[in-house]
Amino acid sequence: MSETEVFMQQVIYGLSNGMIIALVALGYTMVYGIIELINFAHGDVFTLGGFLALTIVGALGASAVIDPATLGEGSHWLLLFALVIASGLFCGGLNVLIDTIAYKPLRRAPKLTQLVAAIGVSFILVNIALFWGGAPMEVFGGGNAAAASKDFPELLEGSNLLGEDSNVVLRLEDIAIFAITIPLMIGLTLFVKKTRLGRGMRATAQNPVAAQLMGIDTNRVIAATFMIGGFLGGAASVMWSLYNNTISFQMGFRAGMDAFTAAVLGGIGSLPGAMIGGVLIGLIRAMSDQYIETRWTNVVVFGVLILILVFRPSGLMGLKQREKV
Amino acid sequence: MSTVASPVALISVKQVTMRFGGLTAVKDVSVEVPQGSITAVIGPNGAGKTTLFNAITGVYEPTEGSVLVSGRDPQRQMSGRVVAGIVWSGIATAVFLAILVRVEALWQAAIIDNYTFQQPFPWMKAAGVFLSTLFGGGFVGTWLPLLVGAALGAAGRYVIWSRTRRTPDVVASAGVARTFQNIRLFPELSLVENVTVGMDRRLCTGFLPALLALPSALAERGRARADATKLLEFVGLADKAEEAAGNLPYGHQRRLEIARALASRPDVILLDEPAAGMNPTETVDLMRLIRAIRESGTTVVLIEHHMRVVMGISDRIHVLQYGEKIAEGTPAEIKSNPRCIEAYLGKEELG
Amino acid sequence: MASKRFSFFSKGQLVVLALLAATPLLDVVAPSLQFSGPMRTVIVFAILALGLNIVVGWTGLLNLGIAAFMAIGAYAFGILTSEIYPFQVGFWWGIVLSGAIGAFAGWLLGAPTLRLRGDYLAIVTLGFGEIVQDGLKNLPTITKGTEGINPLPAPTILDSSLKVVEVSGETPVRWFFIYLALLALIVFLCRNLEFSRLGRQWFAVREDELAARCMAIEPDKAKLKAFAAGAALAAISGALYASHLSSTGEPSNYDFQISILALCIVIVGGIGSITGVLVGAIVMVGLNNVLLPIATQSLQRAGFASTGNVLASPDNYKYLFFGLALVLMMHFRPDGLVHTRKAVRK
Repeated sequence: MSETEVFMQQVIYGLSNGMIIALVALGYTMVYGIIELINFAHGDVFTLGGFLALTIVGALGASAVIDPATLGEGSHWLLLFALVIASGLFCGGLNVLIDTIAYKPLRRAPKLTQLVAAIGVSFILVNIALFWGGAPMEVFGGGNAAAASKDFPELLEGSNLLGEDSNVVLRLEDIAIFAITIPLMIGLTLFVKKTRLGRGMRATAQNPVAAQLMGIDTNRVIAATFMIGGFLGGAASVMWSLYNNTISFQMGFRAGMDAFTAAVLGGIGSLPGAMIGGVLIGLIRAMSDQYIETRWTNVVVFGVLILILVFRPSGLMGLKQREKV
Repeated sequence: MSTVASPVALISVKQVTMRFGGLTAVKDVSVEVPQGSITAVIGPNGAGKTTLFNAITGVYEPTEGSVLVSGRDPQRQMSGRVVAGIVWSGIATAVFLAILVRVEALWQAAIIDNYTFQQPFPWMKAAGVFLSTLFGGGFVGTWLPLLVGAALGAAGRYVIWSRTRRTPDVVASAGVARTFQNIRLFPELSLVENVTVGMDRRLCTGFLPALLALPSALAERGRARADATKLLEFVGLADKAEEAAGNLPYGHQRRLEIARALASRPDVILLDEPAAGMNPTETVDLMRLIRAIRESGTTVVLIEHHMRVVMGISDRIHVLQYGEKIAEGTPAEIKSNPRCIEAYLGKEELG
Repeated sequence: MASKRFSFFSKGQLVVLALLAATPLLDVVAPSLQFSGPMRTVIVFAILALGLNIVVGWTGLLNLGIAAFMAIGAYAFGILTSEIYPFQVGFWWGIVLSGAIGAFAGWLLGAPTLRLRGDYLAIVTLGFGEIVQDGLKNLPTITKGTEGINPLPAPTILDSSLKVVEVSGETPVRWFFIYLALLALIVFLCRNLEFSRLGRQWFAVREDELAARCMAIEPDKAKLKAFAAGAALAAISGALYASHLSSTGEPSNYDFQISILALCIVIVGGIGSITGVLVGAIVMVGLNNVLLPIATQSLQRAGFASTGNVLASPDNYKYLFFGLALVLMMHFRPDGLVHTRKAVRK
């Protein structure tokens, strides 16, 4: 493979992974922007979305609606979109539930208390994923190895779109990622800019007290934020599981770390920042995997984060906040 | 009212302008604070008084103009020590980075290859191997990390130094203390602890004696506590010494802030609206307190809206409006100044 | 908090230390349970949490990666004392030097992060925890990768004939008391810091950094010292842990879960309070390392946990209990089990 081809391949990997990370990062940054909470549980909600997707596939297979054996051939776009929507709704609803039960009562508590509660929820969800992995379904390995990772089927046909002879590989999966994440991001941006609820979200993020005084129902706004953030996470988890052909009860940790790093890199609270940050992290990871060494990639990502934060403590697109004395 | 004692200006604000983006909060303001005086800065809300205080105390850097304290500019100066720090930082970062980039190879060559189990280790030889391997890595392995490290280390140190030249702690070390318009106490600490923090610049116990609770450390602890208690008595809060500062009523919190500011035995104390929210009895007590502060040798500058307080104790008054100084003089002069009356005094008559 | 007279320990601390000192008696009562061993881990994590308490509780800096310093301490101890490397400084020097190396590492982490606001600092410290783990994993020449460095020396003391003798698994009680003595010493030192000028600087920086600055305190220097002190204690705890296991273990033993365990000890116990940290360590580590394995063992002996069913083994409920405990505590007793700080009515 020529140097350019190697580079192009890494760009494809980087962009594909990056878009997924960006979706998850959006979930983090939206919630942080509105209630200044690092939602530690977001990565684990993401995990459960993947588990739901696999469960649906398994259930459909068991009820013979589709044959899991044939999933390797042909492309099941309808199934894919259905999974994205299903996981999205599930994760969105789960997110709202978590906020209502665990976070809302602590709205006025110190930040550290809220953070610890989020960590607690995260652990609970991890355990749920662990139990889920032991479900007696064939897709889960028959319930014997709860902690092991499970295979996620190839829902899309895997041939190289650039032709059999091309050294650079671009597959339907990559296209699918773009086909799903880009509309979601555009939709989100339009929603936040044009709709009343979206304006309410922006207002609440900037000044919750004033927003309330202006008649904005901040509770509804916050719930909507969790719903949307969760939906994006669910969609991302289906794409992630598809792309990596696997789910595991701890998959939220790595994805969450990357996504949160992306959100901070882009300036936490900023939607464009999360999107740019996600793509950047994806690209950095791909380039580091290729040109440095895979084992040092996490270090490289962290190094980049530190470097940016030293010179721009509020992230790439974050706003500098002057302290009022 | 005592006359202004000496012509030496303790604080000299020279043509200070504060601009924030498109907003000019303070424009070309000059104020001289004579030593031993009580100087007041008044003006309608938004006139730039607190901004001026912030510019003086280092919270903001004046966009234009300068502030002198006791005739000197309270900034960290470039010196041989600073240069040495920058050089040292560059060298250390360079070496650190060079080692980090090839740490496995270095370890292998210097330690593992030379070590035979249970035989004495050839330290000198290992050191030699270490150095030769370190510098033998060619451009990418040795010289690039050294250069990058040196650049990063030196530049970083310099940037840190230049960014912190005139931070509030530098100004405070020069003998300037202050209170805040929005009361900034340490709410979870007790009154005594709040005041003791204030005297930090006068304490000199080192880390090791404190860690080991050596007699010298304990002695200073006792002295600090005694001084803090005396200050609390001075402002009339000694009976609540161990309570959490956050539990104090508003008026007492203001008094605590004053005690805390006095703890460092400053040359000058800047009081930002000390009488806010006080009833008539409390303002009389406050005026007595401020005079007592002046008697004890500390110069006072205050921002205040209570006209009775301002007129009652100030030696000299400066009036700001929309960021500019519109008048300066004795209380009698200001009272009869038509511009001031129009701008401010006409609307204001407080208890 | 500021005592009128100097005392070595507060009343609460004396009570807890005495309780700990009494635990070997449990071995007499129930010899099959072998408490002295696992109780050593309680002490190790108490020291780790005391270090984290300095950073999070006293200075208000959210550090989510304290496990990194524990790992650094463990591996430093391993490298300095193992026979596969030429240093072999012995147990006590190993502890001291590991602490010093930890302090240096803490200073290194602190330096570029001074300007970061609370939540950004949290993610950076979290990342630091990850990369230290990765670094240790990926430098097998030095760290022996997943094998870990072993065996490692146990503490050495002078016995009745003034000979230097090493404790061992045969004398777990003696080993426990050496660790307990170290804990008591560290509690004493922390207490001194709490009432010292530096301690007050830390509290001031936590409460209001700008106001502290206006009192001629340099928050940057104070924060660096906090990072260094916290990291030193974490490193010492790592070294003690490595000695206890006679191995550094593998790098993934010092992962995010350890950092969170330490954070939970600090918070559940009562943030900022030394006594609270001690109580928190007993509760959390006791639950995790002592009670849970015993429950699992008993159930196994009763024949329950042999099926492949994931719901049958208590060990699989670890995360659930942990998470529930955290969420419930935050809702009902957010100040922790012990609070010695004055209640500020909000």
